Amino acid sequence: MEAGLAAIGAGLAIGLAAIGTGLAQARIGSAGAGVIAEKPEALGTIILLVAIPETMVILGFAVAAMVLLLGG
Amino acid sequence: MNIEMVPIEIMGLKTDLHTIIHTLRNLGCVQIDDLSDSPEVSARPLTLDRSILHHQEELSFLSAKIGGLLDTFGCKPIKGTYQLPEDYLTEAQRNLEMLLPKVQQLTNQREKLSGELASLPRYETTLRKLLPIMPLSARQPGNVSIGVLVSRVHVGVLDSVGKRVLDLTGGRAQVVASDIDASTRAMLIVFPAEFTAEVEALLGREDVSRLRLPEELGDGPPDLVLASVHRRMTSIPKEIEEINRTLAGLATEWCERLIIWRDALNDEIDANSVLTRFGETDLTFILVGWVPARDFETMQSSLIDITGEAVLVQRLTLTPELKQRAPVVLQNPKPARPFESLVELLSLPSYGHIDPTRLMALFLPFFFGIMLGDIGYGILLLGICLFMLRRIKRGVMRDVVTVLAMGSVWGILFGFIYGEAFGTLGEHFGLQPIWFSRTSSEYVASLMLMTLIIGAVHITLGLILGVWEALKSKSRGHLLERGGMLIGLISLFFIVGVLTDYLPQGFMTPAIAGVILGIVFLGASLGWLGILMGPIEFIGLIGNVLSYLRLAAIGLASVYLAKVANDVAGLFGSVVVGVIIATLIHALNLVLAAFSPTIHSLRLHYVEFFRKFYEGGGRQYQPFKHQNLTGD
Repeated sequence: MEAGLAAIGAGLAIGLAAIGTGLAQARIGSAGAGVIAEKPEALGTIILLVAIPETMVILGFAVAAMVLLLGG
Repeated sequence: MNIEMVPIEIMGLKTDLHTIIHTLRNLGCVQIDDLSDSPEVSARPLTLDRSILHHQEELSFLSAKIGGLLDTFGCKPIKGTYQLPEDYLTEAQRNLEMLLPKVQQLTNQREKLSGELASLPRYETTLRKLLPIMPLSARQPGNVSIGVLVSRVHVGVLDSVGKRVLDLTGGRAQVVASDIDASTRAMLIVFPAEFTAEVEALLGREDVSRLRLPEELGDGPPDLVLASVHRRMTSIPKEIEEINRTLAGLATEWCERLIIWRDALNDEIDANSVLTRFGETDLTFILVGWVPARDFETMQSSLIDITGEAVLVQRLTLTPELKQRAPVVLQNPKPARPFESLVELLSLPSYGHIDPTRLMALFLPFFFGIMLGDIGYGILLLGICLFMLRRIKRGVMRDVVTVLAMGSVWGILFGFIYGEAFGTLGEHFGLQPIWFSRTSSEYVASLMLMTLIIGAVHITLGLILGVWEALKSKSRGHLLERGGMLIGLISLFFIVGVLTDYLPQGFMTPAIAGVILGIVFLGASLGWLGILMGPIEFIGLIGNVLSYLRLAAIGLASVYLAKVANDVAGLFGSVVVGVIIATLIHALNLVLAAFSPTIHSLRLHYVEFFRKFYEGGGRQYQPFKHQNLTGD
């Protein structure tokens, strides 16, 4: 029972973080594509901006791993 | 690192202007800046005299003409260096006078034929409609046939015209009509040739449009004209082909020379256009710019030799304002050079600041390898990269592929460390991990710990470089910010060391004090907002270290996808189907394995590492030199 709940918790931790990252990247990505069309030299900056929200999902992964390894 | 640049001012006699420009262009090491952007040197902008402007205009016109010919011929760039004749301008002008009319005539003819070919199917449709209603009299010698097209809205006009033609010819004409399409009706009038003038005058008065066919099709009855149309439809493509063959022959004969002339002309135009950046006094001209320190002496002595010492070349003092405008040339050892493109993708480093190319060359393939960590994928990727490197000779793409190849080598090494070849497939052939297997859940914590330690080392290195930069540029704000982060982070390592019993408890109090001190320094660099932002920034710094967990996460995702591929293959009854499915999933994983680790390694550098020390916004060094005459 506890292992099952831990697995659900881990799934939620990484899943919700991934949704958050996805939403943020969708907005930054579409705006970024517009910027690159106008100013191709901004590619590096746009990659950087698109990559920033990924930290959320990585933190989600860290929490999920901790839940599974320590709590599961 | 970026190489030392020297700001220079060159002053010479106007009589030597072209000699000096010629020498500077041959030397190819001086970047000429616009004098109006250099407040440290005062002189009025150089006014170009009428003869120079006229010459420039002539060159541009000639270059445009050659450009047109090159487009028509579809000339491809020529490899290698050209031998340019001295009197190329006269030669180019003379030959173009001969070549241009010939090419124009051929292209006009081709255009006309293409237009005719496009219109023939329309005539064919109309004539086919007229053919069934064509009276026999149309074939009789001495008779003339005229086709008339009228909109069906005005079909009454046709009846009226028909009657009047019959009256005019005393009943010796024959008039027939038929619908061509939903909106057009055609009428064919056949009459004796002696009434041609009267009938045409009548059609003119009634404002009825004749079916006018191209002269080449003749003016006979519809069946003969239709045969003519078919003949033309067959012959025109051959004529066009013949013209294309002639043009291709001319292209083979002239392309190389045209490219040589075009490049030489553009080079000349470029050389003259640089004059607008110069300044002048009544008798002298002045230019300002930059030259790499190593080339200064050579440049100075060349100019003095060529002008008989009638030139003044002096170094300007490198003030902080000038330093901000200094152009940047990156200089790195050959293995690190492909990484310059990746640094430039973000921004060139500012002059005098740290060029992170070498550090990137060290860490980026290593990070890639940690994530990929598979002997099979590594070898495949390396093979693909080596194959692509044979095809791609230069450019950013070659740099990216080279970086990928280096990453693949690290990927193979980590593959041995993790004991992975196409995920878990290696295990079936007795492959054992040197250190630990990523697929084993008991070692996931070890993997995560390893990536966190790597992250901590990378971030600490970034902060040390940041503190060094701050000390070098005497920036108090940056020193407080980066120093605070560094003190706080190192103290945090001590706290972790104490909590995990690697360090004695006695370290705890100084470590907590260190963290607080670090946050205070960090806050102090942010002004009043620092009270709130200091702790938030410090938490952000911890987030930066945690961000390196992606090295574990991406790798785990890859290895589990490979495991799925291998396990799924076993579920199918047929070995062939199983192998095909597994190959497809492995292929997908290989593509992801090439793409994802590259992006994430780049991100770790751009976001986590560079932001601790990197000063971007550098200006590319663009020396005044001959244009690239290699044709690409």
